[in-house]
Amino acid sequence: MALSRREFLIRTGLAAGGLMAGGLWSRPLVRKAFADIGDRFLVSIFLDGGNDGLNTVVPVANGTSGNFRTSYELLRRTGPGGLRLLESQLSPYAIDNDPNTGTPLALHPGLEALHRLYQLGKVAVIQGCGYPDYNLSHAVSRSIWETASLGGTGSGWLGRYLASRYGASEIPALSVGYWTAAEFRQQTTSVLTAIRLAELEFPLDDWYPDDDAAKKTAFQSLYAAAQSSPQLMLRYVGNSGQATLTATQAYPALNGLYQADRNSWLQQYNGLDSGTARRLREVAKVIYGITQGAANVSARHFALSNGGYDTHSNQGTIGEGAAHYDLHREVGDALEVFYHDLDDMGVADKVLIMVWSEFSRRPQQNDNGTDHGSQGPMFLIGGKINGGVYGNHPNISDPRVLNPGATWDDGNTKYSQDNSYPHRSTDFRDVYGAVLKHWLAIPESEILSSLLVTDSGDPTQYWTVPNFNFVHPGNSNPLFLP
Amino acid sequence: MGDENTILGATHARHLLRRAGFGARATDVQAFAGLTRGVAADRLLSFKPAKFRPGGKDIWRRRVSWLKYMVRVRAPLQEKLVLFWHDHFATGNDKVQDHAWMADQNRLLRLHCKGNFKDFVKAINVDPAMMEYLDTFRNFKDQPNENYARELMELFTLGVHDLAGAPNYEQQDIVQIARAFSGWGWDYSRRRVAFRDWAHDYNSEYESERGPKVIFKSHGGFGPSGRDFTQPGGEGPQEISQVVDILFEHRDSDGKSTVARFITGKLLEYFAHRLPPYPDNATIIDRIIQRSGFDTSWDLRRLVREIFVDDFFYETAAPPFTSTIPKSVVWPVDFVVTTLRLLKVNPRSDKWGNWYIEGGAYGNVTDYLAEMGQILFEPPSVFGWDWEESWINSATLLARYSFARDVAMARGNKSYHLRPQLLMDLSLTAPSDIVDAVTNVLGIADQLTASERQTLIDYLGSGPLDLNDPGVRQKKLHGLFALALQAPHFHLH
Repeated sequence: MALSRREFLIRTGLAAGGLMAGGLWSRPLVRKAFADIGDRFLVSIFLDGGNDGLNTVVPVANGTSGNFRTSYELLRRTGPGGLRLLESQLSPYAIDNDPNTGTPLALHPGLEALHRLYQLGKVAVIQGCGYPDYNLSHAVSRSIWETASLGGTGSGWLGRYLASRYGASEIPALSVGYWTAAEFRQQTTSVLTAIRLAELEFPLDDWYPDDDAAKKTAFQSLYAAAQSSPQLMLRYVGNSGQATLTATQAYPALNGLYQADRNSWLQQYNGLDSGTARRLREVAKVIYGITQGAANVSARHFALSNGGYDTHSNQGTIGEGAAHYDLHREVGDALEVFYHDLDDMGVADKVLIMVWSEFSRRPQQNDNGTDHGSQGPMFLIGGKINGGVYGNHPNISDPRVLNPGATWDDGNTKYSQDNSYPHRSTDFRDVYGAVLKHWLAIPESEILSSLLVTDSGDPTQYWTVPNFNFVHPGNSNPLFLP
Repeated sequence: MGDENTILGATHARHLLRRAGFGARATDVQAFAGLTRGVAADRLLSFKPAKFRPGGKDIWRRRVSWLKYMVRVRAPLQEKLVLFWHDHFATGNDKVQDHAWMADQNRLLRLHCKGNFKDFVKAINVDPAMMEYLDTFRNFKDQPNENYARELMELFTLGVHDLAGAPNYEQQDIVQIARAFSGWGWDYSRRRVAFRDWAHDYNSEYESERGPKVIFKSHGGFGPSGRDFTQPGGEGPQEISQVVDILFEHRDSDGKSTVARFITGKLLEYFAHRLPPYPDNATIIDRIIQRSGFDTSWDLRRLVREIFVDDFFYETAAPPFTSTIPKSVVWPVDFVVTTLRLLKVNPRSDKWGNWYIEGGAYGNVTDYLAEMGQILFEPPSVFGWDWEESWINSATLLARYSFARDVAMARGNKSYHLRPQLLMDLSLTAPSDIVDAVTNVLGIADQLTASERQTLIDYLGSGPLDLNDPGVRQKKLHGLFALALQAPHFHLH
């Protein structure tokens, strides 16, 4: 049943008095929201557990300085349990050189599909992303990335943006998973969370459909009461239940629409038979629904994650069954289908995908895996991305990295934003700032005053990258093409 | 201010029974109302830990085995504690890949669930499932693995930061403690954990490179020389117990026992609700430690008792609800087990290991639990599950609503059906009486406001209803059960 937006809000009991008076579009915040993101979409993909950056963006040979391949071979050995990727395995997946040392780099062979997108010029590899005094706890470091605050507390960084643009009756974001992605966390607007859109159906008694209306009325009344309770948790459950009911009336239809119009793409996702492919498939359904004008669907921000990167043991090198290889295959293969699906829909230029992890791993391998490390690479993927290698490869030739025991250090690469440091790192908040400024069109002043906290770093330089303007080291064009 | 001599009214008795078990049956509420908080807590804690070990030939069957046990157990507090410890010492079969080890660990958690916490940690140190999960089995002198050393401090005993926000340890402490755990492995021939001298990191070989086996030179109140964990028993297999002894002497930046505050705070938030920010949380935690003597005795039984007699525990028991104290979200396993216990519904089993509700979508109980965000024996990570708001989102709520719908649709006269005649008087005809009966069965009568109660009455219509008429009963009474199970109040403590 097609409902107008107005009917829909009334039916679901979400319409607050003031809200409907002049219609949704008269609300300045909502107008602003649509003006900011326009017809764009954002997808955040979290590699859960700490992705090994050194075996993701790998030195293939020594460059003009740094001796990174030599160091790599000292840090990653061959033989049983060895994690070294050989030059011959890497050379088909070469990417641009490290801008700083000229080191020839390649992607992990498991990322062969991502490499194809790289060759199309749609992938930016941003090396050495982290923050000062990096924390090696999964939970703390992950919270730091999710909240963009070095204390790791507070609302999610995208959550603050959503809360500044959307109200309680809106569902501007979808978390594909069992958990609401913490980068979306806040208490102002609703984030839909689902594994499959088809399952977003409100459960009712099949035997007595004539009682459905009475049940829904009572359900809404109970949840509306909770929404106005002074009890914070009761109110939270009330809001979540109402948003759930709302979603059950709009989202399941996207499933049938996509199935009918884009079945060959559906088969491609299903053929990959992986969690990441299934989750990106659900994102594709929503994006397609929006492009087709589906009623009451407005989620333009998406988050999903892929777990298993905490490879303390049995990390492996290449081939099916090697843990890190399988993880890369899952994500890379799914991203390739997703990108071409978007391209076929005509919206590849409208979608930005950001891939991140809470930290990288120790350059020096252990018996057959790697322990927790510091800075690592991020990926930005999309039609408007100026593909290439940005940022500096972490200095793995540092004596502290090559021989940690002798120096009483933890053996991780040095994170430094010091301008004079030749292997200067990139603050992850520079990347967030660039996304907010260039993709979500948020004014820089607002980013710095309320969305990202300048609790360290030089405010005139915004941590590392001046004014969040990343420039391609080769062609000197901006990271985000106009 | 109440204390252990405060007499429990019905509302507080119901709250205690819900928090210390799985739902409050009306008969239990009657039995507990009128007792003092202290007597009631002692009665709940009087069980002798059972030797139960979940059975079955795969992890799915063992999962169901544990759930069935929770539904039938006579001392539900025991299982509430085991669930807490499963979350605390989170271990996942997704990595361990050995369901027998997971079952062994489950029995270990039960054995120690209200025992001595220091002994408990020492036992977890050498639990095979844990040693596999956090890589103690892969920690060799020449290839140290820090995984367990880190989580032992961060998650099991100290926390990254103390209550005041000061760090409790540094990376160097992790590196050194990892040395203590080197050399442990699984002896395949004897099928037990074994210490292997050849793989252990001895100072004679590594001191020049790695420094002395000393920890806490900068944290924990041990002074600049820290503590040497080769003492008092020397180097060798005893190092891991000596490390634990030192951890338990760790003092935070307020000079208090870090372990006692960490565990007391976590148990308080599990059984009651989220603590206020520092320093108010410290006030509550410290008074409970002081009364229980937990920072010297490490006796979990006395600690839990003092939680159950403290005013903090009863703050969210009954309306009017305030804006400052957050209620606590019922865990998925708690919701499911409570529903089955209170409604006396036993899901059906089949030879393939399914355990399902014969109604609605005929869903497997464990599948519903997965959708609610809780797969027993497979916590999302070593951090266990995220609590409170994290349990609640559209995906998990729909799973909760669907499970409620299925249970309410399980109509018939078998033990796997919802049979209201076992729970209430079917001769009631007034909608208000019927609503009161159902909300009493579910233990939420005292949680509803008058208008919320009226919503449920309005759902039944103007009445009178003849519940002995199957058509009326199955449509409206079963519908009312579904609604009450889906109501926000049933998902909050």
